[in-house]
Parts: sequence; C-alpha cells; structure tokens
Amino acid sequence: MMLEVKDVNYWYNNKADALYENVNLTFEKGKLYSILGSSGSGKTTFLSLIAGLDVPKTGEILYEGKSLKKIGLTNYRNQYVSIVFQSYNLLPYMSAVDNIVSAMEITHSHQANRKDYAFSMLEKVGITKELAQKNVQHLSGGQQQRVAIVRAMCCEARLVVADEPTGNLDEKNSLEIVRLFKELAHDQGKCVIVITHEREIAKECDIVLELKHKKFNELQFQN
Amino acid sequence: MNFIKRAFYSTKAKKGRTLLLTFVFSAILIFILAGLTIQSASLKATENAKKSMGATVTLSTNMENAMKKSSSSDSDDSSDKSDRPDPGSFSITPVDLDTVNTLAKLDNVASYSISSSTSVNAKSFDAISSEDEEEDESSSSNSSNGGNNQQGGPNSGMQMMRMSSGDITIEGTNDTATASDFTSGTAKITEGVGITEDDVDSNHAVIETNLAKANDISVGDTIKVTDSEDEDIVYKLKVVGIYKTSETADARSMRMTALNPYNAIYTSYTFANKVKGDDYKDSADSVIYTLSDPEKMDTFEKDAKKAGLDTDTYSLRTNDQVYQQMIQPLENVESFAKKIVILVSAAGTVILALIVILMIRERKYEIGVLLSLGEKRFKIIGQFFAELLAVLIVALVIAGVSGKFVGNIVGEQLLEQQATTTASTSNNQGGPGQGGPGQAGGQNLGQGRSGNFGRGSSFSNFGASSAKNAKQIEDLNITLSLKELVELGGFGLAISFLAVIIASIGVMRMQPKKILIS
Repeated sequence: MMLEVKDVNYWYNNKADALYENVNLTFEKGKLYSILGSSGSGKTTFLSLIAGLDVPKTGEILYEGKSLKKIGLTNYRNQYVSIVFQSYNLLPYMSAVDNIVSAMEITHSHQANRKDYAFSMLEKVGITKELAQKNVQHLSGGQQQRVAIVRAMCCEARLVVADEPTGNLDEKNSLEIVRLFKELAHDQGKCVIVITHEREIAKECDIVLELKHKKFNELQFQN
Repeated sequence: MNFIKRAFYSTKAKKGRTLLLTFVFSAILIFILAGLTIQSASLKATENAKKSMGATVTLSTNMENAMKKSSSSDSDDSSDKSDRPDPGSFSITPVDLDTVNTLAKLDNVASYSISSSTSVNAKSFDAISSEDEEEDESSSSNSSNGGNNQQGGPNSGMQMMRMSSGDITIEGTNDTATASDFTSGTAKITEGVGITEDDVDSNHAVIETNLAKANDISVGDTIKVTDSEDEDIVYKLKVVGIYKTSETADARSMRMTALNPYNAIYTSYTFANKVKGDDYKDSADSVIYTLSDPEKMDTFEKDAKKAGLDTDTYSLRTNDQVYQQMIQPLENVESFAKKIVILVSAAGTVILALIVILMIRERKYEIGVLLSLGEKRFKIIGQFFAELLAVLIVALVIAGVSGKFVGNIVGEQLLEQQATTTASTSNNQGGPGQGGPGQAGGQNLGQGRSGNFGRGSSFSNFGASSAKNAKQIEDLNITLSLKELVELGGFGLAISFLAVIIASIGVMRMQPKKILIS
C-alpha cells in the first residue's frame, strides 16, 4: 500500500458543510486511479490533500505507513509526490528542457546526466530537441501538458497526482496523455491518481472512484 | 544552487523588468556614491586642514588677575582712596622663558612663537610718519606741559604710554617664520634672511621694504635706534633681511608713528627684552603655541597645568577659530553628505522593496509552482535576492562610472554654498580680524623703561588668515577609491537584502494550494 487516506474529513467554513466525511481509501503502486466527480464535488480539494498542498481537518493521510505531517509537507512534495496541473504550471521563463532539469534539481534527482535524460524523455512524448529548447510559452497546450508529465516522470517520485490533466486538451491529445499515465503506472510502477470529470478518461484507468454525496464509491465500467 | 540558475534564467528572460531594476538601482547607488565620495573628500579635507592649520594657544599674563591684584593692593595701602585701581600702580609679570620652554616640550606642540615687543626712536634713519601725527604729538606735548595730567587720573595711563613710546616698533621674536604676520602671509621676506633661533642675543634686524627704501638701507647695513626714554642709550642693529608687509596703515597708525606697519622692525626677542630693561631678561610678552591637532587643545591646557603652569599669573587662551572657520563648510558638507547617504539608502530600500513586492505579486504563480515542487521558501527568496544581486553588479558599474561626476558637481556646489554662507556669517558677526589692540602691546602699557605696545598683529592678522583659509576650502578633491566602492557595494547589498526581506514577508505566508488551485 502506497497511500492511505484514513478517516479524513474536510470542510472550508462550516463543519456541517463538510466536503467529505470519514473518507477511507487506499492507493497501490503500479496502478492508475481516477477520481471522478462533478464540478464542486471536492475532487481538487482531495487532490490538494493527497498532494500535500493542504491538510485534512480531521483524520490523516499516510504515505507508506508514515503520516504526511511526520514527513513534512514540503519534504513530501519534494521527495514523494509529483503533481500535474490542468494549467500545466511550468516556469514561464524557461525552455521545456530547463523546466524539467530545474525540477530534477529541486527534487534532488539521482539521474546522472539530467539534461540528456530530460531530452530523451521529452523525445518519448513527441517533443523534439528543437522544441524542447524553446521557451515553454511557445509550445501548444498539449505539448506543455506533456512537458508537465515528463517533469513528473523525471522527478523520481513514486506517487503522481494529476488535476484535470486533459481539461484543456482535445481528444487526441487527451488520449495521448492518458497513454503516458498508463505507462507511468504500468511500466514504471508508479501510483498515478488522475482527477477528472470526463468519464471517457476515467474509463481508461485501472480503478475509478466516484465522489458523490461526500463519499467515494468505486465504479465498475463495462468494456 | 539551482535557485541561482533560475535567477539567471529569470533575469535573462524578463529584460524589461531587469532594465527597470537596473535603472532604479543605479540611480539609488549613484546618489549614495555621491554622498560617500563627498563625505570622504570632506573628511580628507578636514584631516588636511587639521594638519596644515593646527590651532593656537596663547600664553600670556593673566590680565584679569593682575588687575585684581593691583586693585586689592591699592585698597590696602590707602583706605581713603576709592576702590578703583590706580593705572599707574598696575604691574604685570612677563612670561618667563622657563615656562615657555616647559610648555614647548608638551605633546602636540608643532611650533611656538615668542613675542616681545617694545618701541624705540629712529636715530640713523627716519621713521615713516604722517603730518597728522606730528600735529597730534605737539598738542599732546602741550597738554602735558600744561600740567593737566594728574597721577591716577583717567588719562594718565595713555599719557604715560604716549610719552614713553618711540616711533619704531621692535617686534622681538624667536623666529620670523612662526611670527603671526609671516604665517598668515601678511609679511614676506623679500631680501636677506629672517630672524631665527640662531639670532638669540644678536643685534640682527629685519626691516620693512618701504622703510628701507625711504632711508636707502639695504641688507648688511647697520642702523641706529635710541631708547624711547633716554636718547643717550643707542642700539646698533645689523639689517640681515628686508620684508614686505601687505598690512595697510589704519587711522590709529596714522596718529602714532610706531603703529605704522612700515615702522616695525623684527629682531630677536632678546634684543627687545634688552631695550625694555633688566626686568625683562629671559621673558616674553606672549607666546603662541601652534598645535598639530586642534582637537587636542583641551589636552594641551590640562597638560600645561600639570606641568606646573601658574594660572594665577599666566593665562592660556585657545584659538581654533581659524580652524573652525575653515572646517565649518566641510563639516556642513560632510553632514549633508551623510544625510544624503542615509536618506537615499532608506528611500532606496523602500523603492526597491516596493518594486520587489510588485515583482513577487506578479510571480505568485511561479512561486506556487516552485512550492508544489517542494522547493524551500528560503531558496525562493534566495532566487529573488540573486536576481537583485545580478542587477546590483551592473548598477555598481554604472554608479562607479557616473557617481564620481555627480559627486563632483553636487560636492562643489554644496561647498561653494557652504563657504559663502560661512563667509557671510563671519562678516556679519564682525568676526576676528577686525582690528583691535594687539595682545602683546596692550598687556604692557606703561611698563618698563620703554613704552611697550604692539601693532595688534596677533588679532589683526587673524582676519587675513581666515580669508586665506576660507579660500583654501573652496576646492574639494572628490575621488573614487576602492574603499568607497566597497562601501557602496555594502550599501547595495544591505538595500537588496532589506528590500527582498520586506517583500518576502508575503512569500512566507503564501500557500501553494491557494495559488495553484483557484
């Protein structure tokens, strides 16, 4: 078990209006999860909790049995989790490759030749060396999202969480992104949790959890 | 060191922002550097002023005490007389040479000038005189002969002086080079040599060029003078030098021949003492000690007392007015420069902090990304600091090149303004150098065989000296040294650091969730 959500409750202003009540979930490595839910259901808030961007009001989140509080949120984000955002969140003044190398440096990646490794990883997702050296703002939305995913891949964190990663992309690009996530989970053995409101994307995942009425329920899709 | 790399990328990518910061930072540093260079130049000039100018302490008879003694002895002797002192019985003790030498050995004494003056009558030559004075003398003589002069009367002192005064002033000194007329530049040796310590006990004399020309006297000639009270006593003086004075004859000197600046003859103080009589052997009217450090004037006074100076008999009068007048504009400029540095630094910190705050607000998203990657907050702040440092280096170069010129312009204008203000204040106050009785002469009225009075040189020349020195400080040598650049770098670093710290308070409170998921 990689990640365990234990008796988690969360609310913003009023306890009575809690987003979730006593949530208990577990996430395994090598699997691709999706959390499905309508807008305002609290999907993104849940992501912020498991990504160490926020803390639950009650309950706790454990990474490989260790409380995130104990690990330290900054340390957790630095060493154990990679986040992919809907709006890519790349550093705007850098090229694609520099964004990745910078992230590898921040997270103390053990990769020997970081730049070459970043080029090769970008090459794998269809970003040529020429494109990789361009400022990220000159890349398309799909390309930027692929750069963001490669950043998560290169950071060596074993848990990857993605918030609406295909929200700004067309169908073709969306499927390409899902393929990359599958590869991350199945080939690299990472635990990938994708937050989405698109059923088509959710269907591609190994396990689908639907957030409805403050509860997470596992959905089974018929192929 | 990843944050330094990011700082480099950011600085390179945001050219507009970098240029703006460089411009603002350069402007701040230019003003700080101008302030620093002006301050440094003022300090250097003040130091030089101290070295070149020094300050003087005059050792002379304690007139106040002498007058009191005279008054008390009068009342003891004759109880029927009024309490007022009898000018005729007023006696003072000249400064003895042992005291002079003891004080000369004290620390901080750069030089000293012994002054002993008296008057004689010209015998083998004619003193330079005016018609007014002749008339005045005859009327004075008539008045005296008329028996109106009463002992102890209000005019008796003056009458005594007039009767005993000759037409030539003997300015006895140990060294003409240290005599106030010569140090102030009022008098200059034009031919031959001046009086030195080697001339002690000699009959060597230095006469004024107009007196020499009028009587066809040249260096090597011997002239004769007589005692002002006994014409049978004749003194021979060998002319070893001729000097020229720029001092002009005033109304007083027009009335009294001896006070005419052209009729002053410099001799060794021993000669002046010889003319004055045996009571004045190994003595001086006054001694002016020039101190190497004007700020140690008080120490000198204390040391003199410790060395056994009899303050009942003698007084020490300090005079650092020339020095003070000279350095006042510099001190004002230095103080102003200091204020410039402080104000510009404070304003610069505030301006830069505001710019960095705006910059950080604009880069909130970037901070969120970095925080989501687990970057430590101090490293994010470090990145902003590194960006400002890069700008600082460029601004330092710009300020280094242009700061000196700005400093020169501002410094010169400030000094000019301050010097003018000081000069006008000094003039309005009637300041020193407006004339008045010479201290040496005034002390010995009616004493000794010959009337003894000076030409007021100690004070009258003071004005000329002040004017000369005020002129000296019109130039401020503003140079840019490594010290100023290092100081400027320090200020730049401190400003950058403070600006980033102030602006980073917000960063410390930023939550990545709020930035990225909203």
